[in-house]
Amino acid sequence: MIDAMLSSPFFGLTLTAACWCFALRLQKRTGLLVCNPVLVAALLVIGVLTVFHIPLESYNAGGSMIKLMLGPATAVLALNIYQQRQILKSHFLPVLAGCLMGSITSIAVVLAFCWFFATEDVFTASMLPKSITTAIAVGISESGGGIQGITAASVVITGVEGAILSPLFARLFRVTDPVAEGVAIGACSHAIGTSKALEIGVLQGAMSSVSLCVCGILTSILVLFL
Amino acid sequence: MHIMAEIAIIFGICLLSEGIAALLPFVFPASVISMLILAALLLTGVVKTKHIQLLSGFFIANMGMFFIPSLVGTLEYAETLRAQFIPFLVITLLTTPVVYLVTAWTVQLLTRLLSRKGGSRHD
Repeated sequence: MIDAMLSSPFFGLTLTAACWCFALRLQKRTGLLVCNPVLVAALLVIGVLTVFHIPLESYNAGGSMIKLMLGPATAVLALNIYQQRQILKSHFLPVLAGCLMGSITSIAVVLAFCWFFATEDVFTASMLPKSITTAIAVGISESGGGIQGITAASVVITGVEGAILSPLFARLFRVTDPVAEGVAIGACSHAIGTSKALEIGVLQGAMSSVSLCVCGILTSILVLFL
Repeated sequence: MHIMAEIAIIFGICLLSEGIAALLPFVFPASVISMLILAALLLTGVVKTKHIQLLSGFFIANMGMFFIPSLVGTLEYAETLRAQFIPFLVITLLTTPVVYLVTAWTVQLLTRLLSRKGGSRHD
């Protein structure tokens, strides 16, 4: 019976949904940004698989269905651009230039570090899209021959870091313009940072959600030239 | 709108994007193409917010859940990750402040420059 249940796609679907809900509640209870629900839920799933010696293939029967939904989840990010079109229009040039510089910087710094550490190509390809939102990053990583899991891990850790440290960055780097602050948060820490930007201010949140989309698009174009 | 109609619209865009991605002479993520198509359809008014409201609300509210399988997939590459752990952490953590600094100051300087030049907004 157990074998039949483990080989069913419902196993991966149930485990993912249950861990996700638990992690969401944990975040709400603790209010800690470190308790990022994606990170906590993934660790929970990994924990269950490891403790009960369940092979990854069993999980992936259902997991791959959830992964498939990354496509539509990315598509609906277009709503960010649409809903903020007025604000995007009035700051078009600075936002576009900021996102372009941010995307180039991210790629350049990752490449420089990879050169320094003399990493393998597979690893470099996995790290390149680390600053952009997971849905787009895993797509770029896959296209470039990277490992999706490593990309996703780096992206999520980056997002949590940005969400925690962005108020400090603003003070440290003397960033006073709320538009600049929002665009920078979205560029360096995508959707997870945006949740923090929304807490800082409405304008910061709006700019951050536009910026994460623009940076995602720009990065997927920029890596074509590598 | 009926939830199934919303599913048909959004999944249809994703399907079309995979077709376009296959046609392109370079490798480009289909998800980005679908985002661009949906943005174009919204901006031209072909698709209205109300046509995709229910489904997009669900996806945006639970976006994180869809990343879990990719993260769990890291298990298979635990060796690679362990071998490259220091570069992984250094790159992940140190790139972020540099990107923040460059982006914020590009926007800040350009905004100041534009407002000094014209005194009005440049679109």
